[in-house]
Amino acid sequence: MAKTYVVTSGKGGVGKTTISATLGAALAAKGDKVCLIDADIGLKNLDLTLGLENRVVHTILDVVNGKVTALEALVRHKQMKNLFLLAASQIATKEMLSPDDMRRIVAELYPKFDFIIVDSPAGIERGFRNAVAAADHALVVTTPELPAITDADRVIGLLENAGMAEDDIRLIINRFKPNMVKRGDMLTKDDIQENLAIELVGIIPDSEDVIVATNTGNPITLNGNQEHMIAHVFSNIALRLKGEMISIDKDLIYGGSRGFREFFKRIFGRN
Amino acid sequence: MMFFGLFRRKKKAQSRKEAKDRLDSIVTGRRRSVPVQEVIPAELLKSSETDVVTQIKGYVAQRFKVKEENVKVQFEEHNGYVVIITNVVFH
Repeated sequence: MAKTYVVTSGKGGVGKTTISATLGAALAAKGDKVCLIDADIGLKNLDLTLGLENRVVHTILDVVNGKVTALEALVRHKQMKNLFLLAASQIATKEMLSPDDMRRIVAELYPKFDFIIVDSPAGIERGFRNAVAAADHALVVTTPELPAITDADRVIGLLENAGMAEDDIRLIINRFKPNMVKRGDMLTKDDIQENLAIELVGIIPDSEDVIVATNTGNPITLNGNQEHMIAHVFSNIALRLKGEMISIDKDLIYGGSRGFREFFKRIFGRN
Repeated sequence: MMFFGLFRRKKKAQSRKEAKDRLDSIVTGRRRSVPVQEVIPAELLKSSETDVVTQIKGYVAQRFKVKEENVKVQFEEHNGYVVIITNVVFH
């Protein structure tokens, strides 16, 4: 039976899709069978982030219209054989899907997977309600900036209002810059957590490598990047979702100054 | 003096403190929606507006642990719907 997570934020551009894809890949790398559902209908990107845009034959709308079953619409990842995607349609609108449709789709996938991750669109309207409908748990993504944090606060209120228990809502801080925090120019993890008052499940330091990974359609946890700094952070988050107790401070080890080893590696490393 | 002043480090204002203060004031002042589990049957409230006000005042006072005098209920009509506005004075 799957654990169903919705990755949401309220504000757009905080990294929901990248986190959904990379976390899905990290969980799959640990041997779990993972299904990613793109609920961002009309503005789909999850297939692109996973490098699967040319493999999508059926979308979630085909499932809603009864053309195929949810299992038939899934696309298997090229390298991770236990990572699947249910893609969104680009020509459809969010109104073509209802919360009941989403519940029905997830119910079909539920017994076949260990984790189902639903990538929510930005906003708090129909698309958000669709994405949240079938989830038992939520990962609220924010960046350390006021607009993102206040939107995350609003989303937490809406999730609780929808009947989700406080313990099932967890926080991910994305694009964290430890050097700015050191200088006193960025909110600390404690500042954010104090205000949002939910459990922190991961801090992802800002990294250019995530952009490179998105450019190539390879989540940073794949293709020999497993030893990469950010890959370790995603691996930690995946383990926490599986119930392991790993200190949050471990995430920050990978976000500080690069150190001598990395410095020399950058100068003398081969491209 | 001018020479030493040239090399004196100018203390830069830290934006984190300002962000934290602003965040505190935004988040603590935010309205929270409360899930409604009880629905009062319409028949019970059909007779008069006063019944509706009494029911709401009683419920809100109990829910937020305030006196009934601290709850103010108003009715307004918007686009054919009756909107009930309830204000609670906590302090």
